[in-house]
Amino acid sequence: MGSTEIPGNGHELASVAQQRAERLAELPFEVSVSAGPKSVGGFFASIREIAKHRELLDLLIRRELKSRYKDSTLGFLWSLIKPLVQLLIYYVFIGTVLGASRGVPDFAIFVFSGLTLWGLYAETISTGTASIISNGGLIKKVYLPREIFPLASTGSAIFNFLVQMVVLLLAIIVLGQFPVSWNLLYVPVAFVVVLIWGVTFAVVLSALNVFLRDIQYLVEVAMLLLFWASPIVYSWTLVVQSVKTHTWLLDVYLLNPISLAMLAFQRGLWQAGSQTRVLGDPGNLTVVPPVQWPANMDLLLVLATIAGLVALFFAQRIFSRLQGNFAQEI
Amino acid sequence: MTVSDVTASGTANRGGAQLPVVVRAENVSKRFVIRKEKSLKERIVNFGRSQKHKDDFWALRDVNFEITAGTTLGLVGANGSGKSTLLKVLGGIIEPNDGFVERRGRLAALLELGAGFHPDLTGRENVYLNSSILGLSRKQTDEYFQSIVDFSEIEAFIDTQVKFYSSGMYVRLAFAIAVHVDPDILLVDEVLAVGDEPFQEKCMAKIKEFQQEGRTIILVSHSASQVEDLCDRVLVLSHGNVVFDGGATDGIAALRESFDR
Ligand SMILES: Nc1ncnc2c1ncn2[C@@H]1O[C@H](COP(=O)(O)OP(=O)(O)OP(=O)(O)O)[C@@H](O)[C@H]1O
Ligand SMILES: [Mg+2]
Repeated sequence: MGSTEIPGNGHELASVAQQRAERLAELPFEVSVSAGPKSVGGFFASIREIAKHRELLDLLIRRELKSRYKDSTLGFLWSLIKPLVQLLIYYVFIGTVLGASRGVPDFAIFVFSGLTLWGLYAETISTGTASIISNGGLIKKVYLPREIFPLASTGSAIFNFLVQMVVLLLAIIVLGQFPVSWNLLYVPVAFVVVLIWGVTFAVVLSALNVFLRDIQYLVEVAMLLLFWASPIVYSWTLVVQSVKTHTWLLDVYLLNPISLAMLAFQRGLWQAGSQTRVLGDPGNLTVVPPVQWPANMDLLLVLATIAGLVALFFAQRIFSRLQGNFAQEI
Repeated sequence: MTVSDVTASGTANRGGAQLPVVVRAENVSKRFVIRKEKSLKERIVNFGRSQKHKDDFWALRDVNFEITAGTTLGLVGANGSGKSTLLKVLGGIIEPNDGFVERRGRLAALLELGAGFHPDLTGRENVYLNSSILGLSRKQTDEYFQSIVDFSEIEAFIDTQVKFYSSGMYVRLAFAIAVHVDPDILLVDEVLAVGDEPFQEKCMAKIKEFQQEGRTIILVSHSASQVEDLCDRVLVLSHGNVVFDGGATDGIAALRESFDR
């Protein structure tokens, strides 16, 4: 009677509540991920979790790019100005004043390709290391797979890298030096190697940085030093010449996956390196033979990739152990 | 008036069927280490000493409870008794040292002063960021966007960076987002105290609507009247231990008692 009429609305609500209860009763219980398996399975569970948050990752990358240059007039042009000024400095001082360009044909292309790839690595690691701290506001308030933050830094580093790549390729085309050869395949390989190692360090250092803030500054100093440990502003030929007979030093040098990737990148984009060129003014000509690229470069690149993936696995495991305490330490 | 009606009918509806458990905490313990040095220098200077003398204490000790769907749970206790810590553990934001928390359904959390906003982004961008974190797609957010803005009543500032917001505006937006993402579980930590009176009333109305829709709410509050008004169950914490678990009126009495300890 009355009971069917008056609580009409109430019944609807009751059924809303009931439906919710029924739906919830069907759901499995979830424990937060970092409390889950601590082994190999945990790695893949984390990857799945991150994949579920793709859209968020995309948003965070945009946010990172946007907020970085938010209040500046020239905006993202700044991300281009810095490497171009660097190029100018190295071109003028190292190349011309110190004379490094005498043995290196198309020195500008050589240096800019090195700087571009190095920029990807350095930016991934330095912004990645700071990423957990700088996103403290979010980490203290909501749960989400925290690997997303170093990955978002990586994403914005990739974006800047691609912008520089466009400039580099345009310059190469304008200079008539576009390398139409199989060597071009080295470019994506070098990119992948740098990316894997960059992400590895970004992930592990971002977690350690929460507990020891000095890491951020140590990283900056280390990057300054490491810049000179790879053939960016000096050529591989120079390295080979200076080790003289101690060729084992070359193997040590190539243990650094970034040096190896740098060589591969140059081999792909810097056509002059693989050709015999004649340099200098008329009357004072020097013939520059092609660079003697390391003999087993392809194999070394494969090994560097595999080693990188293994390192990435351990980096994620360390991260996952440490992340449970992030929110309380920031 | 309507309050008691709602609660009464709410309980009646729930009384019949067996309700599923949505949150379960088992032996949850959380220890904090108070070690202040974060820099290398301090670590080296205090090396050895810091290991022996590092202060630690239990912010939560063996907390056990289950919450069934549709319950509104009040979490009360003195300052520093571990309420916010417990809420963070429930939200998965910090890991307990011991024990575990299981839960099911979508969770939205309003922890101590607002959601996770990025100060450099505008209100609009933060709405998208936050709803994405809570699991909404861009399209779903587009649909809800206008009603989030309407609820928060800060239309004029929605394209301003949130670092220029007042604390009330901040909470308005955070609350508006949290209630629009269709959560099954809502965690609220004292945030409502910052809103002005009309907004607090609006929030109360919303919370009551949520109760009728069978959502689970866990509320930390220092306002006894608010707790009595809203909660059908109260948990009193004292120095990290649960000292009372039961009805709201008795809970407030137990809370007053716990202050003396
Ligand atoms: N990140 C942290 N590191 C160290 N100690 C912490 C941390 N967070 C909280 N604590 C300590 O844990 C205890 C419980 O804190 P909590 O914030 O949970 O209290 P509360 O019950 O929410 O208090 P209030 O009513 O003041 O909000 C406090 O003694 C606090 O100092
Ligand atoms: Mg608190």
